[in-house]
Amino acid sequence: MLGGCAFKDPLPEGRVYPSMSMNVPFIAPRADLCGSTSIQMISLYWQSIGEYTPKLSIQELDHRTLIPLKGGTLQAELMSTARANGLIAYPLEPNFDALFSELAAHHPVILLINRSYSWYPLWHYIPVNGYDETNRKLLTHFSDQPNEPLAVETFAKMWKRSDNWGVVLLPPGVIPASASSKKFLRSVYELEKIGMVVEAIQSYQSALIRWPEDSDIHFILANSYYRLDRLSEAEESYRRFLLSNPSHPLALNNLAILLSKTGREKEGLMLLDTAVSKDPEIQKMLLNTREELLKK
Amino acid sequence: MYISKMMVSLILSITLFAQVSWGQIASTELLLGSPVTVSSHDKVSQFVAREDVAKAFEEMGVDPKMIELKVASLSDDEINTIASKIDTLPAGGDGGSIIGALVFIFIVLLITDILGLTKVFNFTRSVR
Repeated sequence: MLGGCAFKDPLPEGRVYPSMSMNVPFIAPRADLCGSTSIQMISLYWQSIGEYTPKLSIQELDHRTLIPLKGGTLQAELMSTARANGLIAYPLEPNFDALFSELAAHHPVILLINRSYSWYPLWHYIPVNGYDETNRKLLTHFSDQPNEPLAVETFAKMWKRSDNWGVVLLPPGVIPASASSKKFLRSVYELEKIGMVVEAIQSYQSALIRWPEDSDIHFILANSYYRLDRLSEAEESYRRFLLSNPSHPLALNNLAILLSKTGREKEGLMLLDTAVSKDPEIQKMLLNTREELLKK
Repeated sequence: MYISKMMVSLILSITLFAQVSWGQIASTELLLGSPVTVSSHDKVSQFVAREDVAKAFEEMGVDPKMIELKVASLSDDEINTIASKIDTLPAGGDGGSIIGALVFIFIVLLITDILGLTKVFNFTRSVR
């Protein structure tokens, strides 16, 4: 009765996703805290294979993720808490290709699913840590048993109910397999903004290896170095960026300030002369910088 | 009640790079072109959104000591998402069984579990 037409294959046509599995440590569920335990499991995984140390205790993770009256964790808070724990939270593209390319790279992912229907939603976060191609089952730490196999068909329906929401949590320096450069840089910048500048620099440097043609990374790196007062590294990075963007107003502005900080106002002013922008806000910024440099 | 502390941290974050004697460093945000906090108008609306989220967290029983920390760690985009619709956003949390479901719902979901359309109960084994 429930033949092939009842269940259309949810996987994209013609794709073969190979079997794989990761040793993601299992943590037993605690009421309303699957957001916290999911982060813990992924953190333990990265701790077990690399140079990553979580920044938060289990109690802190629980406290940060739980909203008592909602009985769970918002997606945004899952991501912000993972960042506070020192991980980059990269939003997964909502499709099977992205999911399986992360799994193939041995990056566990956390997905949001609705275990029920929209009229009685039971939202749940699950870490996915493997795939069994022969039996077409995802391996997940779904509930109270590790590596619970989940039929692709069932999984696809539950995942679809969250619009295929997921996130890849990675330690500094590791790049998502499915990443686009700009989206990744934004995810890292969110880490930088909460003060983890050293960690962010590590990831920007990896990004430069992965996307050497993306000159923006030099600018972003330069700003981070500047923030840490590593001025000679900042200068070198601004100059590298300017090689491919010679009249870029933001970089010229920042380099001019850096030069004036190190007693080279004249060179700074000459650089400002070459800056081109039609944006009135940026013109104003350049003018301010010029005035400051002239005061020296 | 959160306003004063949050105002201070907001001002700090705005002035972080604006070292008066050196001119203003153009932020990474400007280059990445994310649609957030560039003009002062945006900064004010961000501030209001953060206050809204803090209030909503308080109403939803979040430990008052945690509220500031939680709000501060959210990015501008995340705050904007939450501020307008926290009531309807999904919150993943169900780690075990459901309590208080009506018998009707129980039976329906039991059947859909067995058919492999849902996975509400941990004891069911789907036919798939």
